[in-house]
Amino acid sequence: MSAPSIRERLYESPGPKTRRRIAAFTGVALILLGLLLFLIVRQFALQGQLQPRYWDFFLKGSTWRYLGAGLLSTLKAALTAAVIAIALGFLMMRGKLRRFRPVRWLCAALVEFTRGVPTLLLIYFFFLVIPRMGITIGAFWRITLPCAISASGIIAEAFRAGVNAVPVGQTEAGLSLGLSNLRVFYQIVFPQAIRFVIPSLISELVIVLKDTTFAYVVSYADLMQNAKVLITSHDSLVSVYLVVAVIYILINYGLNKLSDRMARGTKKPAEAGQAKRRPA
Amino acid sequence: MTQIQTPGDKPVIELKNVNKHYGSLHVLRDISLSVGKGEVVVVIGPSGSGKSTLCRTINRLETIDSGEILIDGVPLPQEGRELAQLRAQIGMVFQSFNLFSHMTVLDNMTLAPTGVLKLPKKQAREEAMQLLERVGVADQAHKLPAQLSGGQQQRAAIARALAMHPKAMLFDEPTSALDPEMIGEVLNVMTGLAQDGMTMVIVTHEMNFARRVSDRVVFMDGGSIVEQDAPEAFFAHPKSQRAADFLQSIRAPEKL
Ligand SMILES: Nc1ncnc2c1ncn2[C@@H]1O[C@H](COP(=O)(O)OP(=O)(O)O)[C@@H](O)[C@H]1O
Ligand SMILES: [Mg+2]
Repeated sequence: MSAPSIRERLYESPGPKTRRRIAAFTGVALILLGLLLFLIVRQFALQGQLQPRYWDFFLKGSTWRYLGAGLLSTLKAALTAAVIAIALGFLMMRGKLRRFRPVRWLCAALVEFTRGVPTLLLIYFFFLVIPRMGITIGAFWRITLPCAISASGIIAEAFRAGVNAVPVGQTEAGLSLGLSNLRVFYQIVFPQAIRFVIPSLISELVIVLKDTTFAYVVSYADLMQNAKVLITSHDSLVSVYLVVAVIYILINYGLNKLSDRMARGTKKPAEAGQAKRRPA
Repeated sequence: MTQIQTPGDKPVIELKNVNKHYGSLHVLRDISLSVGKGEVVVVIGPSGSGKSTLCRTINRLETIDSGEILIDGVPLPQEGRELAQLRAQIGMVFQSFNLFSHMTVLDNMTLAPTGVLKLPKKQAREEAMQLLERVGVADQAHKLPAQLSGGQQQRAAIARALAMHPKAMLFDEPTSALDPEMIGEVLNVMTGLAQDGMTMVIVTHEMNFARRVSDRVVFMDGGSIVEQDAPEAFFAHPKSQRAADFLQSIRAPEKL
Protein backbone atom coordinates (compact mmCIF):
# COMPACT_ATOMS: atom_id res chain seq x y z
CA MET A 1 0.00 0.00 0.00
CA SER A 2 2.36 2.77 -1.18
CA ALA A 3 0.75 6.18 -1.25
CA PRO A 4 2.30 8.57 -3.77
CA SER A 5 4.91 10.80 -2.13
CA ILE A 6 4.31 14.52 -1.87
CA ARG A 7 6.78 15.10 -4.69
CA GLU A 8 4.85 12.77 -6.96
CA ARG A 9 1.65 14.56 -6.07
CA LEU A 10 3.03 18.04 -6.72
CA TYR A 11 4.81 17.45 -10.01
CA GLU A 12 3.82 15.54 -13.07
CA SER A 13 6.31 12.88 -14.08
CA PRO A 14 9.09 14.43 -16.21
CA GLY A 15 9.22 14.01 -19.97
CA PRO A 16 12.43 13.30 -21.94
CA LYS A 17 13.38 16.98 -22.32
CA THR A 18 12.83 17.70 -18.65
CA ARG A 19 14.77 14.60 -17.71
CA ARG A 20 17.78 15.80 -19.77
CA ARG A 21 17.58 19.20 -18.12
CA ILE A 22 17.41 17.63 -14.65
CA ALA A 23 20.49 15.55 -15.46
CA ALA A 24 22.38 18.66 -16.63
CA PHE A 25 21.49 20.63 -13.51
CA THR A 26 22.42 17.72 -11.29
CA GLY A 27 25.83 17.51 -13.00
CA VAL A 28 26.50 21.23 -12.57
CA ALA A 29 25.39 21.13 -8.94
CA LEU A 30 27.64 18.15 -8.19
CA ILE A 31 30.63 19.91 -9.78
CA LEU A 32 29.98 23.07 -7.74
CA LEU A 33 29.59 21.06 -4.57
CA GLY A 34 32.84 19.22 -5.24
CA LEU A 35 34.57 22.55 -5.87
CA LEU A 36 33.27 23.96 -2.60
CA LEU A 37 34.41 20.90 -0.69
CA PHE A 38 37.81 21.12 -2.34
CA LEU A 39 38.15 24.78 -1.35
CA ILE A 40 37.22 24.05 2.25
CA VAL A 41 39.66 21.17 2.53
CA ARG A 42 42.36 23.22 0.82
CA GLN A 43 41.82 26.10 3.22
CA PHE A 44 42.11 23.72 6.18
CA ALA A 45 45.26 22.25 4.65
CA LEU A 46 46.76 25.70 4.16
CA GLN A 47 46.03 26.46 7.81
CA GLY A 48 47.74 23.24 8.80
CA GLN A 49 44.55 21.62 10.10
CA LEU A 50 45.15 18.41 8.18
CA GLN A 51 48.44 17.70 9.92
CA PRO A 52 48.52 14.20 11.38
CA ARG A 53 48.85 15.49 14.96
CA TYR A 54 45.31 16.84 14.73
CA TRP A 55 43.95 13.53 13.59
CA ASP A 56 46.10 10.63 14.74
CA PHE A 57 44.52 10.41 18.22
CA PHE A 58 41.37 9.24 16.48
CA LEU A 59 43.26 6.03 15.82
CA LYS A 60 43.41 5.33 19.56
CA GLY A 61 40.67 3.27 21.15
CA SER A 62 40.64 5.46 24.23
CA THR A 63 39.52 8.47 22.18
CA TRP A 64 36.53 6.58 20.87
CA ARG A 65 35.74 5.10 24.24
CA TYR A 66 35.74 8.59 25.67
CA LEU A 67 33.51 9.93 22.91
CA GLY A 68 31.38 6.81 23.24
CA ALA A 69 30.85 7.46 26.94
CA GLY A 70 29.85 11.02 26.08
CA LEU A 71 27.47 9.78 23.41
CA LEU A 72 25.89 7.36 25.84
CA SER A 73 25.33 10.15 28.35
CA THR A 74 23.85 12.31 25.62
CA LEU A 75 21.49 9.55 24.55
CA LYS A 76 20.52 8.84 28.14
CA ALA A 77 19.74 12.48 28.84
CA ALA A 78 17.92 12.95 25.52
CA LEU A 79 15.84 9.81 25.92
CA THR A 80 14.89 10.61 29.51
CA ALA A 81 14.05 14.19 28.52
CA ALA A 82 11.97 12.91 25.61
CA VAL A 83 9.98 10.52 27.79
CA ILE A 84 9.30 13.24 30.36
CA ALA A 85 8.45 15.76 27.63
CA ILE A 86 5.99 13.36 26.02
CA ALA A 87 4.34 12.64 29.37
CA LEU A 88 4.09 16.35 30.24
CA GLY A 89 2.93 17.18 26.71
CA PHE A 90 0.23 14.53 26.91
CA LEU A 91 -1.03 15.85 30.25
CA MET A 92 -1.10 19.43 28.96
CA MET A 93 -2.98 18.31 25.84
CA ARG A 94 -5.55 16.48 27.98
CA GLY A 95 -5.86 19.58 30.13
CA LYS A 96 -6.35 21.88 27.16
CA LEU A 97 -9.18 19.68 25.88
CA ARG A 98 -10.99 19.68 29.23
CA ARG A 99 -14.37 21.30 29.57
CA PHE A 100 -13.48 22.69 33.02
CA ARG A 101 -12.21 26.19 32.22
CA PRO A 102 -9.58 26.76 34.94
CA VAL A 103 -7.78 23.54 33.97
CA ARG A 104 -7.93 24.54 30.34
CA TRP A 105 -6.51 27.99 31.04
CA LEU A 106 -3.78 26.66 33.28
CA CYS A 107 -2.66 24.18 30.65
CA ALA A 108 -2.87 26.78 27.88
CA ALA A 109 -0.65 29.08 29.98
CA LEU A 110 1.81 26.25 30.62
CA VAL A 111 1.97 25.46 26.93
CA GLU A 112 2.67 29.08 26.04
CA PHE A 113 5.27 29.39 28.77
CA THR A 114 7.18 26.23 27.89
CA ARG A 115 7.08 27.04 24.20
CA GLY A 116 8.18 30.62 24.71
CA VAL A 117 11.01 30.39 27.19
CA PRO A 118 14.49 29.55 25.78
CA THR A 119 15.95 26.22 26.87
CA LEU A 120 19.13 27.88 28.10
CA LEU A 121 17.13 30.11 30.44
CA LEU A 122 15.43 27.05 31.93
CA ILE A 123 18.82 25.41 32.36
CA TYR A 124 20.09 28.44 34.26
CA PHE A 125 16.96 28.27 36.35
CA PHE A 126 17.63 24.66 37.33
CA PHE A 127 21.35 25.30 37.65
CA LEU A 128 21.35 28.57 39.58
CA VAL A 129 17.92 29.28 41.05
CA ILE A 130 16.77 25.87 42.24
CA PRO A 131 19.92 25.25 44.36
CA ARG A 132 19.36 28.64 46.06
CA MET A 133 15.94 27.35 47.06
CA GLY A 134 17.75 24.65 48.97
CA ILE A 135 16.93 21.87 46.52
CA THR A 136 19.87 19.92 45.23
CA ILE A 137 19.63 17.96 42.03
CA GLY A 138 22.37 16.24 40.10
CA ALA A 139 23.87 17.36 36.80
CA PHE A 140 21.85 14.76 34.91
CA TRP A 141 18.54 16.25 36.00
CA ARG A 142 19.82 19.81 35.62
CA ILE A 143 20.10 19.21 31.90
CA THR A 144 17.30 16.67 31.45
CA LEU A 145 14.46 18.53 33.16
CA PRO A 146 14.93 21.85 31.33
CA CYS A 147 15.19 20.07 27.98
CA ALA A 148 12.04 18.10 28.79
CA ILE A 149 10.06 21.15 29.91
CA SER A 150 11.18 23.15 26.94
CA ALA A 151 9.91 20.48 24.53
CA SER A 152 6.70 19.65 26.39
CA GLY A 153 4.60 22.57 25.15
CA ILE A 154 5.38 21.91 21.52
CA ILE A 155 4.61 18.23 22.02
CA ALA A 156 1.31 19.13 23.72
CA GLU A 157 0.35 21.17 20.66
CA ALA A 158 1.40 18.37 18.32
CA PHE A 159 -0.80 15.94 20.27
CA ARG A 160 -3.69 18.38 20.18
CA ALA A 161 -3.36 18.89 16.44
CA GLY A 162 -3.35 15.11 16.04
CA VAL A 163 -6.46 14.67 18.16
CA ASN A 164 -8.26 17.43 16.27
CA ALA A 165 -7.33 15.82 12.97
CA VAL A 166 -9.33 12.70 13.80
CA PRO A 167 -12.74 13.10 12.15
CA VAL A 168 -15.44 13.98 14.69
CA GLY A 169 -17.59 11.15 13.29
CA GLN A 170 -15.24 8.67 14.98
CA THR A 171 -16.07 10.19 18.37
CA GLU A 172 -19.78 10.32 17.61
CA ALA A 173 -19.83 6.70 16.51
CA GLY A 174 -18.08 5.70 19.73
CA LEU A 175 -20.46 7.70 21.91
CA SER A 176 -23.51 6.39 20.10
CA LEU A 177 -22.41 2.84 20.94
CA GLY A 178 -22.50 3.75 24.63
CA LEU A 179 -18.74 4.02 25.12
CA SER A 180 -17.67 6.45 27.85
CA ASN A 181 -15.77 9.61 26.97
CA LEU A 182 -12.63 8.08 28.40
CA ARG A 183 -12.92 4.93 26.30
CA VAL A 184 -13.69 6.96 23.21
CA PHE A 185 -10.55 8.97 23.75
CA TYR A 186 -8.16 6.16 24.60
CA GLN A 187 -9.52 3.43 22.33
CA ILE A 188 -10.68 5.40 19.32
CA VAL A 189 -9.38 8.94 19.06
CA PHE A 190 -5.88 8.78 20.49
CA PRO A 191 -4.71 5.66 18.63
CA GLN A 192 -5.64 7.41 15.41
CA ALA A 193 -4.17 10.75 16.47
CA ILE A 194 -0.83 9.18 17.30
CA ARG A 195 -0.29 8.38 13.63
CA PHE A 196 -0.51 12.05 12.73
CA VAL A 197 1.76 12.95 15.59
CA ILE A 198 4.72 10.59 15.13
CA PRO A 199 6.59 12.71 12.55
CA SER A 200 6.41 15.91 14.61
CA LEU A 201 7.20 13.94 17.76
CA ILE A 202 10.41 12.69 16.20
CA SER A 203 11.39 16.14 14.91
CA GLU A 204 10.91 17.33 18.46
CA LEU A 205 13.14 14.50 19.66
CA VAL A 206 15.87 15.77 17.37
CA ILE A 207 15.54 19.20 18.97
CA VAL A 208 15.73 17.65 22.44
CA LEU A 209 18.88 15.83 21.42
CA LYS A 210 20.39 19.06 20.16
CA ASP A 211 19.32 20.91 23.30
CA THR A 212 21.27 18.45 25.44
CA THR A 213 24.45 20.02 24.07
CA PHE A 214 23.80 22.74 26.64
CA ALA A 215 25.00 20.12 29.13
CA TYR A 216 28.36 21.93 29.33
CA VAL A 217 26.57 24.65 31.31
CA VAL A 218 25.84 22.23 34.13
CA SER A 219 29.05 20.19 33.63
CA TYR A 220 27.23 17.04 32.62
CA ALA A 221 29.66 14.87 30.67
CA ASP A 222 27.73 14.50 27.42
CA LEU A 223 29.19 14.02 23.95
CA MET A 224 29.75 17.75 23.52
CA GLN A 225 31.37 18.16 26.91
CA ASN A 226 33.73 15.24 26.29
CA ALA A 227 34.54 16.67 22.87
CA LYS A 228 35.59 19.88 24.58
CA VAL A 229 37.91 17.95 26.88
CA LEU A 230 39.44 16.20 23.87
CA ILE A 231 39.92 19.56 22.20
CA THR A 232 41.86 20.96 25.12
CA SER A 233 43.95 17.86 25.66
CA HIS A 234 44.92 17.51 22.00
CA ASP A 235 44.70 21.16 21.01
CA SER A 236 42.65 20.14 18.01
CA LEU A 237 39.44 22.09 17.62
CA VAL A 238 38.52 21.54 13.99
CA SER A 239 39.01 17.80 13.77
CA VAL A 240 37.09 17.02 16.97
CA TYR A 241 34.22 19.33 16.14
CA LEU A 242 33.99 17.83 12.66
CA VAL A 243 33.83 14.29 13.99
CA VAL A 244 31.29 15.20 16.68
CA ALA A 245 29.14 17.07 14.18
CA VAL A 246 29.11 14.00 11.96
CA ILE A 247 28.00 11.85 14.92
CA TYR A 248 25.11 14.20 15.73
CA ILE A 249 24.11 14.42 12.10
CA LEU A 250 24.12 10.63 11.71
CA ILE A 251 21.91 10.13 14.77
CA ASN A 252 19.44 12.78 13.74
CA TYR A 253 19.45 11.53 10.17
CA GLY A 254 18.60 8.09 11.54
CA LEU A 255 15.76 9.53 13.59
CA ASN A 256 14.34 11.41 10.63
CA LYS A 257 14.53 8.30 8.47
CA LEU A 258 12.68 6.42 11.19
CA SER A 259 10.02 9.13 11.22
CA ASP A 260 9.63 8.91 7.43
CA ARG A 261 9.27 5.17 7.60
CA MET A 262 6.69 5.29 10.39
CA ALA A 263 4.73 8.01 8.64
CA ARG A 264 4.62 5.89 5.52
CA GLY A 265 3.89 2.67 7.37
CA THR A 266 0.78 3.97 9.09
CA LYS A 267 -2.00 5.39 7.03
CA LYS A 268 -3.52 8.62 8.12
CA PRO A 269 -7.09 8.16 9.32
CA ALA A 270 -8.41 10.86 7.01
CA GLU A 271 -7.08 8.96 4.02
CA ALA A 272 -8.24 5.64 5.31
CA GLY A 273 -11.53 5.47 3.52
CA GLN A 274 -13.73 8.06 5.09
CA ALA A 275 -16.89 8.29 3.10
CA LYS A 276 -17.03 10.45 0.07
CA ARG A 277 -19.07 13.46 1.00
CA ARG A 278 -22.02 14.39 -1.07
CA PRO A 279 -24.19 17.38 -0.31
CA ALA A 280 -27.26 16.19 1.56
CA MET B 1 -46.78 -5.35 2.68
CA THR B 2 -46.97 -1.87 4.09
CA GLN B 3 -49.32 -1.66 6.96
CA ILE B 4 -49.83 0.95 9.61
CA GLN B 5 -48.91 -0.38 12.96
CA THR B 6 -50.67 1.34 15.76
CA PRO B 7 -48.04 2.36 18.25
CA GLY B 8 -48.14 0.31 21.45
CA ASP B 9 -49.29 1.96 24.65
CA LYS B 10 -45.74 3.06 25.48
CA PRO B 11 -43.74 4.55 22.61
CA VAL B 12 -40.08 3.53 22.34
CA ILE B 13 -39.09 7.06 21.35
CA GLU B 14 -41.10 10.10 22.28
CA LEU B 15 -40.29 13.75 21.69
CA LYS B 16 -42.47 16.39 23.34
CA ASN B 17 -42.30 20.02 22.23
CA VAL B 18 -38.58 19.88 21.51
CA ASN B 19 -36.87 23.12 20.58
CA LYS B 20 -33.28 23.73 19.62
CA HIS B 21 -31.31 26.73 18.40
CA TYR B 22 -27.92 27.10 16.80
CA GLY B 23 -27.28 30.68 17.82
CA SER B 24 -30.09 32.63 16.19
CA LEU B 25 -31.09 29.70 13.96
CA HIS B 26 -34.16 27.89 15.29
CA VAL B 27 -33.34 24.39 13.95
CA LEU B 28 -36.01 22.41 15.77
CA ARG B 29 -39.36 24.11 16.29
CA ASP B 30 -41.66 22.53 18.79
CA ILE B 31 -41.11 19.00 17.55
CA SER B 32 -43.41 16.32 18.92
CA LEU B 33 -43.07 12.81 17.62
CA SER B 34 -43.60 9.36 18.99
CA VAL B 35 -42.36 6.11 17.55
CA GLY B 36 -44.01 2.88 18.68
CA LYS B 37 -42.40 -0.49 19.12
CA GLY B 38 -41.60 -2.06 15.77
CA GLU B 39 -42.59 1.06 13.90
CA VAL B 40 -40.56 2.32 10.94
CA VAL B 41 -40.68 6.10 10.59
CA VAL B 42 -39.08 7.77 7.60
CA VAL B 43 -38.16 11.43 7.91
CA ILE B 44 -37.93 13.39 4.69
CA GLY B 45 -37.55 17.04 3.85
CA PRO B 46 -35.33 19.52 2.07
CA SER B 47 -31.67 19.94 2.98
CA GLY B 48 -31.20 22.05 6.10
CA SER B 49 -34.68 21.35 7.44
CA GLY B 50 -33.28 19.83 10.66
CA LYS B 51 -33.58 16.09 9.93
CA SER B 52 -30.05 15.24 11.05
CA THR B 53 -30.38 17.43 14.11
CA LEU B 54 -33.62 15.68 15.05
CA CYS B 55 -31.96 12.28 14.69
CA ARG B 56 -28.96 13.34 16.74
CA THR B 57 -30.99 14.78 19.61
CA ILE B 58 -32.56 11.37 20.16
CA ASN B 59 -29.30 9.95 21.50
CA ARG B 60 -28.11 13.32 22.71
CA LEU B 61 -25.27 13.85 20.29
CA GLU B 62 -27.00 17.24 20.25
CA THR B 63 -28.52 18.83 23.33
CA ILE B 64 -31.94 20.46 23.25
CA ASP B 65 -33.02 23.85 24.61
CA SER B 66 -36.50 22.91 25.76
CA GLY B 67 -38.99 20.08 25.60
CA GLU B 68 -38.59 16.47 26.56
CA ILE B 69 -37.23 13.29 25.01
CA LEU B 70 -38.33 9.96 26.48
CA ILE B 71 -36.92 6.56 25.67
CA ASP B 72 -39.27 3.76 26.77
CA GLY B 73 -41.04 6.38 28.84
CA VAL B 74 -37.90 7.44 30.70
CA PRO B 75 -36.44 10.93 30.19
CA LEU B 76 -33.11 11.03 28.36
CA PRO B 77 -30.33 11.32 30.96
CA GLN B 78 -28.21 14.46 30.76
CA GLU B 79 -24.74 13.00 31.12
CA GLY B 80 -22.43 10.38 32.51
CA ARG B 81 -22.92 6.66 32.81
CA GLU B 82 -26.73 6.81 32.53
CA LEU B 83 -26.47 8.67 29.23
CA ALA B 84 -23.89 6.20 27.91
CA GLN B 85 -26.14 3.29 28.91
CA LEU B 86 -29.04 4.84 27.11
CA ARG B 87 -26.99 5.50 23.99
CA ALA B 88 -25.99 1.85 24.03
CA GLN B 89 -29.69 0.96 23.63
CA ILE B 90 -30.16 3.10 20.53
CA GLY B 91 -28.20 2.22 17.43
CA MET B 92 -27.09 4.99 15.13
CA VAL B 93 -25.99 4.71 11.52
CA PHE B 94 -24.24 7.68 9.96
CA GLN B 95 -24.01 8.97 6.42
CA SER B 96 -20.22 8.61 6.51
CA PHE B 97 -20.24 5.11 8.10
CA ASN B 98 -17.74 6.11 10.79
CA LEU B 99 -16.25 2.68 11.24
CA PHE B 100 -13.19 3.01 13.50
CA SER B 101 -10.52 3.24 10.86
CA HIS B 102 -7.64 1.81 12.92
CA MET B 103 -9.44 -1.45 13.76
CA THR B 104 -10.51 -4.45 11.76
CA VAL B 105 -14.20 -4.81 11.04
CA LEU B 106 -14.42 -7.54 13.67
CA ASP B 107 -12.75 -5.36 16.31
CA ASN B 108 -15.18 -2.59 15.38
CA MET B 109 -17.97 -5.03 16.10
CA THR B 110 -16.71 -6.28 19.48
CA LEU B 111 -15.37 -3.05 21.02
CA ALA B 112 -18.65 -1.88 22.55
CA PRO B 113 -20.15 -5.30 23.36
CA THR B 114 -17.05 -6.25 25.37
CA GLY B 115 -16.41 -2.75 26.75
CA VAL B 116 -19.96 -1.68 27.59
CA LEU B 117 -22.10 -4.83 27.80
CA LYS B 118 -19.12 -6.73 29.29
CA LEU B 119 -19.70 -9.73 27.06
CA PRO B 120 -16.89 -12.30 27.12
CA LYS B 121 -14.60 -11.80 24.14
CA LYS B 122 -15.43 -15.18 22.63
CA GLN B 123 -19.17 -14.64 22.79
CA ALA B 124 -18.84 -11.11 21.38
CA ARG B 125 -16.86 -12.47 18.45
CA GLU B 126 -19.38 -15.20 17.74
CA GLU B 127 -22.28 -12.77 17.80
CA ALA B 128 -20.31 -10.36 15.65
CA MET B 129 -19.64 -13.02 13.04
CA GLN B 130 -23.32 -13.96 12.96
CA LEU B 131 -24.30 -10.34 12.41
CA LEU B 132 -21.66 -9.85 9.74
CA GLU B 133 -23.01 -12.98 8.10
CA ARG B 134 -26.50 -11.52 8.23
CA VAL B 135 -25.45 -8.30 6.46
CA GLY B 136 -23.26 -10.22 4.04
CA VAL B 137 -19.77 -9.02 4.93
CA ALA B 138 -18.52 -11.91 7.08
CA ASP B 139 -15.68 -12.49 4.61
CA GLN B 140 -14.41 -8.96 5.30
CA ALA B 141 -14.23 -9.41 9.08
CA HIS B 142 -10.46 -9.25 9.35
CA LYS B 143 -9.93 -6.30 7.02
CA LEU B 144 -9.58 -2.65 7.87
CA PRO B 145 -12.58 -0.47 6.95
CA ALA B 146 -10.58 1.32 4.24
CA GLN B 147 -10.25 -1.97 2.39
CA LEU B 148 -14.03 -2.33 2.06
CA SER B 149 -16.34 -0.73 -0.46
CA GLY B 150 -18.69 1.97 0.76
CA GLY B 151 -21.66 -0.39 0.71
CA GLN B 152 -19.75 -3.02 2.67
CA GLN B 153 -18.63 -0.41 5.21
CA GLN B 154 -22.17 0.80 5.75
CA ARG B 155 -23.49 -2.74 6.15
CA ALA B 156 -20.72 -3.42 8.67
CA ALA B 157 -21.65 -0.19 10.48
CA ILE B 158 -25.26 -1.39 10.71
CA ALA B 159 -24.06 -4.71 12.07
CA ARG B 160 -21.89 -2.89 14.61
CA ALA B 161 -24.93 -1.02 15.90
CA LEU B 162 -26.98 -4.23 15.99
CA ALA B 163 -24.31 -5.92 18.09
CA MET B 164 -25.51 -3.80 21.03
CA HIS B 165 -29.02 -5.30 20.77
CA PRO B 166 -30.57 -1.84 20.46
CA LYS B 167 -34.22 -1.08 21.18
CA ALA B 168 -34.31 1.21 18.19
CA MET B 169 -32.11 2.24 15.30
CA LEU B 170 -31.54 5.72 13.92
CA PHE B 171 -30.34 6.14 10.33
CA ASP B 172 -29.14 9.52 9.10
CA GLU B 173 -29.04 9.35 5.31
CA PRO B 174 -27.31 5.97 5.33
CA THR B 175 -27.04 5.75 1.55
CA SER B 176 -26.24 9.36 0.63
CA ALA B 177 -22.47 8.84 0.56
CA LEU B 178 -22.69 5.70 -1.55
CA ASP B 179 -22.12 5.13 -5.22
CA PRO B 180 -25.48 4.31 -6.82
CA GLU B 181 -24.73 0.63 -7.39
CA MET B 182 -24.19 0.11 -3.66
CA ILE B 183 -27.35 1.76 -2.41
CA GLY B 184 -29.49 -1.32 -2.97
CA GLU B 185 -27.41 -3.65 -0.82
CA VAL B 186 -27.69 -1.29 2.16
CA LEU B 187 -31.41 -0.70 1.68
CA ASN B 188 -31.92 -4.48 1.51
CA VAL B 189 -30.30 -4.92 4.90
CA MET B 190 -32.53 -2.18 6.30
CA THR B 191 -35.62 -3.72 4.76
CA GLY B 192 -34.72 -6.99 6.44
CA LEU B 193 -34.42 -5.23 9.78
CA ALA B 194 -37.81 -3.61 9.34
CA GLN B 195 -39.37 -6.97 8.56
CA ASP B 196 -37.80 -8.43 11.69
CA GLY B 197 -39.67 -5.82 13.70
CA MET B 198 -36.89 -3.37 14.52
CA THR B 199 -38.04 0.08 15.61
CA MET B 200 -36.46 2.50 13.16
CA VAL B 201 -36.18 6.21 12.44
CA ILE B 202 -34.74 6.73 8.98
CA VAL B 203 -33.74 10.00 7.34
CA THR B 204 -33.50 9.29 3.64
CA HIS B 205 -34.00 10.60 0.14
CA GLU B 206 -34.81 7.15 -1.22
CA MET B 207 -38.52 7.61 -1.83
CA ASN B 208 -39.24 4.16 -3.23
CA PHE B 209 -37.66 2.63 -0.18
CA ALA B 210 -39.67 4.94 2.07
CA ARG B 211 -42.87 3.97 0.32
CA ARG B 212 -42.10 0.27 0.55
CA VAL B 213 -40.76 -0.03 4.06
CA SER B 214 -42.10 2.74 6.25
CA ASP B 215 -45.17 2.69 8.44
CA ARG B 216 -45.23 6.45 8.57
CA VAL B 217 -43.62 9.33 6.68
CA VAL B 218 -42.72 12.49 8.57
CA PHE B 219 -42.16 15.58 6.42
CA MET B 220 -39.97 18.31 7.90
CA ASP B 221 -39.31 21.79 6.63
CA GLY B 222 -37.70 24.77 8.32
CA GLY B 223 -37.26 22.93 11.60
CA SER B 224 -40.90 21.92 11.95
CA ILE B 225 -42.79 18.72 11.30
CA VAL B 226 -45.13 19.96 8.59
CA GLU B 227 -47.11 16.76 8.22
CA GLN B 228 -46.99 13.04 8.84
CA ASP B 229 -49.01 10.27 7.31
CA ALA B 230 -48.98 6.69 6.11
CA PRO B 231 -46.70 6.40 3.07
CA GLU B 232 -49.43 5.67 0.46
CA ALA B 233 -51.48 8.62 1.59
CA PHE B 234 -48.50 10.93 1.90
CA PHE B 235 -47.00 10.20 -1.49
CA ALA B 236 -50.37 10.16 -3.28
CA HIS B 237 -51.97 13.15 -1.59
CA PRO B 238 -49.64 15.34 0.46
CA LYS B 239 -51.78 17.64 2.58
CA SER B 240 -49.45 20.61 2.67
CA GLN B 241 -48.30 22.69 -0.26
CA ARG B 242 -44.68 22.50 1.01
CA ALA B 243 -44.71 18.70 0.96
CA ALA B 244 -46.28 18.72 -2.49
CA ASP B 245 -43.58 21.12 -3.74
CA PHE B 246 -40.85 18.99 -2.18
CA LEU B 247 -42.15 15.78 -3.76
CA GLN B 248 -42.45 17.60 -7.06
CA SER B 249 -38.85 18.84 -6.81
CA ILE B 250 -37.37 15.43 -6.15
CA ARG B 251 -39.48 13.75 -8.79
CA ALA B 252 -38.68 16.29 -11.47
CA PRO B 253 -35.23 14.93 -12.38
CA GLU B 254 -36.65 11.46 -12.92
CA LYS B 255 -38.91 12.73 -15.67
CA LEU B 256 -36.05 14.21 -17.70
N1 LIG C 1 -23.22 22.41 14.57
C1 LIG C 1 -23.98 23.34 13.93
N2 LIG C 1 -23.80 24.65 14.18
C2 LIG C 1 -24.55 25.57 13.56
N3 LIG C 1 -25.51 25.30 12.67
C3 LIG C 1 -25.73 24.00 12.37
C4 LIG C 1 -24.98 22.96 12.98
N4 LIG C 1 -25.42 21.78 12.50
C5 LIG C 1 -26.42 22.07 11.63
N5 LIG C 1 -26.60 23.40 11.55
C6 LIG C 1 -27.63 24.07 10.75
O1 LIG C 1 -28.87 23.61 11.18
C7 LIG C 1 -29.74 23.45 10.07
C8 LIG C 1 -30.30 22.06 10.06
O2 LIG C 1 -29.26 21.15 9.80
P1 LIG C 1 -29.49 19.59 9.62
O3 LIG C 1 -30.20 19.08 10.80
O4 LIG C 1 -28.17 19.00 9.30
O5 LIG C 1 -30.44 19.55 8.36
P2 LIG C 1 -30.75 18.33 7.37
O6 LIG C 1 -30.17 17.10 7.95
O7 LIG C 1 -32.23 18.31 7.27
O8 LIG C 1 -30.13 18.69 6.06
C9 LIG C 1 -28.95 23.80 8.83
O9 LIG C 1 -29.28 25.11 8.45
C10 LIG C 1 -27.53 23.71 9.28
O10 LIG C 1 -26.74 24.62 8.58
MG1 LIG D 1 -28.64 15.87 7.19
